[in-house]
Amino acid sequence: MAEFSEAHDELRTVAREVLNGLSPLVTGGTAPLPADWDVMAASGWLGLEVPEAYDGAGATVAEVAVILHELGRAAVASPYLGSVVLGVGALNLLEPRPQVAEMLESVASGRECTAVVLPTGAECLAAPAAPFTLRRDGRGLVLNGAADFVPDATEADRLLIVAGDPDGGPVIVQVGTGQPGLQLSPQPVIDLTRRLALVRAVDVEIDAAAVFTFAHDPPGSCARLLDRGAVATACDSLGVAEAVLEATVAYVEVRHQFGRPVGSFQAVKHACADMLVQVTVGRELVEQAVVAVASGADDAWIAVSQAKSHVGQSAVEVAGKAMQLHGGIGYTWERGIHTFLKRATLNRSFFGSPSAHRRRLGARFT
Amino acid sequence: MAGPPASSPAERPTSEAELESFRAEVREWCVQHVPRGWREAQTGVSEIEFVAFQKAWFEELRLAGFATPHWPEEWGGGMPVARQIVLFSELAAHDAPRLVLAFMGIHHAASTLLAAGTDEQRQRHLPAILEGEIWCQGFSEPEAGSDLASLRTWARREGHHYVVNGQKLWASWAARADWCLLLVRTDPNAPKRRGISYFLMDMRTPGVEVRPIKNANGESHFCEIFLTDVVIHESNRVGPENAGWRVAQETLGAERGMTMLELAERLDKAGFRWLVESCSTATPSGGRPLDDPLVRDRLAAFETELRGLRGMTRRLVERHEAGTAGAADASIVKLYYSELLQRMTDFGVDVAGLPDHTVLQKPMSSGWESGAWMLDFIGSWEWTIPGGTNEIQRTIIGERGLGLPREPVEGA
Repeated sequence: MAEFSEAHDELRTVAREVLNGLSPLVTGGTAPLPADWDVMAASGWLGLEVPEAYDGAGATVAEVAVILHELGRAAVASPYLGSVVLGVGALNLLEPRPQVAEMLESVASGRECTAVVLPTGAECLAAPAAPFTLRRDGRGLVLNGAADFVPDATEADRLLIVAGDPDGGPVIVQVGTGQPGLQLSPQPVIDLTRRLALVRAVDVEIDAAAVFTFAHDPPGSCARLLDRGAVATACDSLGVAEAVLEATVAYVEVRHQFGRPVGSFQAVKHACADMLVQVTVGRELVEQAVVAVASGADDAWIAVSQAKSHVGQSAVEVAGKAMQLHGGIGYTWERGIHTFLKRATLNRSFFGSPSAHRRRLGARFT
Repeated sequence: MAGPPASSPAERPTSEAELESFRAEVREWCVQHVPRGWREAQTGVSEIEFVAFQKAWFEELRLAGFATPHWPEEWGGGMPVARQIVLFSELAAHDAPRLVLAFMGIHHAASTLLAAGTDEQRQRHLPAILEGEIWCQGFSEPEAGSDLASLRTWARREGHHYVVNGQKLWASWAARADWCLLLVRTDPNAPKRRGISYFLMDMRTPGVEVRPIKNANGESHFCEIFLTDVVIHESNRVGPENAGWRVAQETLGAERGMTMLELAERLDKAGFRWLVESCSTATPSGGRPLDDPLVRDRLAAFETELRGLRGMTRRLVERHEAGTAGAADASIVKLYYSELLQRMTDFGVDVAGLPDHTVLQKPMSSGWESGAWMLDFIGSWEWTIPGGTNEIQRTIIGERGLGLPREPVEGA
């Protein structure tokens, strides 16, 4: 596998400079600081995958992955997942129409935030049917359904809801957040860096112009969106694991007990070594998954499920070990390790648990 | 020596298509050359038959340019890493025998000579290795295992010669070896790492006595080597006198990636395949382990870890070539490979159950994952203990990879 290019290194360096100051490891004690959306827009991060014709960079998910990794490293709260990873990802899968181009432009510029409503929880890999349905009644099209744990919906200006159309095939329905019949209920979670919401539609009237069809293979397109969510979460978890490993190494070098730095004790040193091994393996898997998704290969989901299942779990283990090796200080709110542990643990369940991903991998062996 | 092998062109592959055409070439070669039924034929054979089989197989690979693809081009290698991966992957997929006996020569001896040997030493030995010269390694001693630098085998200088006395342990296939890589204390008064010299020792030298040791699996490839007034000419010293520790450290790290490339492909293409096969075998009650979702879950996890291992290994080799490898990269790969091997073979025994315990012999010349799971499982400690135990690897990873404070080391 080729190493990420120099352009990626540059993107990574800039992103780290911008985001690092927001890390709970740096800020200590405060509520999570949101990333400045205007700065992210001005840096071109929102339009990385937006075609150049619509004021984007015309880049790929590999560049988006660099940002995701950095967002994880700093445990930053931001609607990047909803608006950019899923939003732009969904829009790029649609049959091209002037409205699609407009939405891409407004996301890239940061003028508007978009969220994609699709299942993200335990059953997201197993249940192919969209939790929303679009049907025709006397007046026109109406939308019904509900989905929970939708990322970044409360911060969005518009929602792109994956729904089964009257013929059963999945389409994308654009809904304004203030539209009558649409309910958005925040779902507060212990990880304060994620904004999740329950989205419910009760007889929401839909204009025919707000229904968008996928350019190719509608069910396959939905699966690709889920894969994007999964690979994005794996990138985030890898960043989380790297950040806490570095923090732990720095801490055990300066913390002295029994007249020695605790990092010189074999038990501590070996635990750190295991963390590094896990992070190194995770990096390989994530990189390969990103390359697979960027290639658009039909079997990209295999690399995605491998990365998501492995890193989803190992990031929790690494963050847990980080808390342990920090000792009492690691358990304090102020030190900030808890933020990473919580984020890693939420990530593990987000867009398919490790066992759900392994279930779909394991089905290939029968 | 033989000329550059025709089948390992040194030009770098420029496209996937080129790699695929090379893959087709290797596949065709395997179909033609991997001896049919060798696993059965090599199960329970005498050591003499094993040695003959190994030498014949080495010769087949050498003629195709597949025995030492990792050597520099001028010495008959020069195969790009991407092609090597294809080669090892196809050899494993076609269940080719492993080069067990030649291993030390084509890897450790060659990389030591290439990195630190004289032109004369290279000319003497590299072509000979291609002709079948067998090597063993005389590093460990009864009192010097993980603390290798405390070794006591010593030499006194007499003119242009060294006279060596002592005892070496865990020298794999020493009873069949022509030459030995030997670490010897040449300055008893220096700090322990600064008083060691590195030698090439002809195993036919008077005073060299080899005794096989029966290991946990009942096999006897490990040997003790007793050295009594063994005379070694100074031209067989590698590097300066008392610089042997540095030579050993530098060459050990550099060749780790190359050996792991083959092993990682094998664990993936052969080991995992056997594992899926074992899980697909019907039990007496008619079911298959694979019908159990927990078994499928474990397989999916192993497959994932194998992808990670292969990625890390390839990156290690590429970084060595580019000179950008981290100080602990090789240790990470060794640690991960060995523990994955142990967990996979453990799972193999678990799945295969009691019938697997009745498999009393595995094919000689097979890999570490022969599919005889119980024997493979016991044998996997040959990976977690030697070459620096995994505890030592974790210390290396902590100190050199993460920069954690060292523990005090006497004579460092």
